Amino acid sequence: MDEKELIRLSQEGNGEAFGQLVERYKTKVFRLASSWTQDRTAADDLAQEIFIKAYFSLPKFKSESEFGTWLYRIALNHIKDYLRKNKKRSREISLEALGGTGLAAENESSQEKDQTEEKRRALVQAVLQRLPEKHRIILTLRDIQGLSYDEIARILRLSPGTVDSRLFRARKKLREKLAPYLGREGGEYGL
Amino acid sequence: MDCKKAERLLLYSLDGRLKPGEKLSLEEHIKGCSRCQRAEQDYRAILGRLKKGDTPEPLPYFKERLLAKLSQEEQALPALFWQRWATKALAFSLTALILLGAAFIAFRTPEPQELSQLETLLLQDENPLTETNYILEAKGLENRNMMLIFSSMEETDSARR
Repeated sequence: MDEKELIRLSQEGNGEAFGQLVERYKTKVFRLASSWTQDRTAADDLAQEIFIKAYFSLPKFKSESEFGTWLYRIALNHIKDYLRKNKKRSREISLEALGGTGLAAENESSQEKDQTEEKRRALVQAVLQRLPEKHRIILTLRDIQGLSYDEIARILRLSPGTVDSRLFRARKKLREKLAPYLGREGGEYGL
Repeated sequence: MDCKKAERLLLYSLDGRLKPGEKLSLEEHIKGCSRCQRAEQDYRAILGRLKKGDTPEPLPYFKERLLAKLSQEEQALPALFWQRWATKALAFSLTALILLGAAFIAFRTPEPQELSQLETLLLQDENPLTETNYILEAKGLENRNMMLIFSSMEETDSARR
């Protein structure tokens, strides 16, 4: 069924139609939540809350914007609220715990290589979590979620030029923070 | 091309947004610049790991669990509506009461005050000294003094009232 029709029916309180919208967007919303919480159960709870919020906000939805863009906006606002409320409980990965990740040696078994690679990914994630919120959001939307510049501009209500410059600064900042782990010029862990 | 511009173009290139003309000049710059070669290596390593991160799937029965929660929430909604309505009504009533009180204090008409004998006479456009003159002109000294005493007592009584 056409998305507009699903939205119209959902606005009238049709649970089945809303269920179809959930099916279409659940993975995107869940992955967005997961990239912030680093915890599947917490991400699942968050994603459920986001859809509940969206369902009760549907009467306010106007078809001027795309449903996906509108849903992402709700999701981001909800995630930001959640993180503020759970600042102390939020699971921050310790850099020290991950810092010992060295360059994969030639004689490492494939299982060891996988583990090392997994640690490196976690290290990048841990540093990402420590960036300012606006940098973290834009990197998550572009480099993790893979959204286009135009989509990001619509979700964050920014001009494409601002998206471009903010993304550039965010990536630069991430590289600066990861410098000690980049395996040269004193970098000890070899990312 | 300087390194700052090269870094920006390098990131465009990793995003697949580089124009063909820019691609050539960027490649030329990177070939001769060790600093930008390192930047390219770093960004490839970092962005590659961000993109290849976890792709987790929602927990099982996501939609079914959600729809069950929604129907629960909808059932609880009327109670919630009245609760919210009552809270708003209470806040509204209190504000209205305060505003009404403030308006009453600000715009109330002053209570009419009892006029003294002197004011009454002035209001009636009569000379307040006529009576005094009459007393002062009285012939008997004793009578005059008595009249003055009674007159002053009357003044005090009206002031007390």
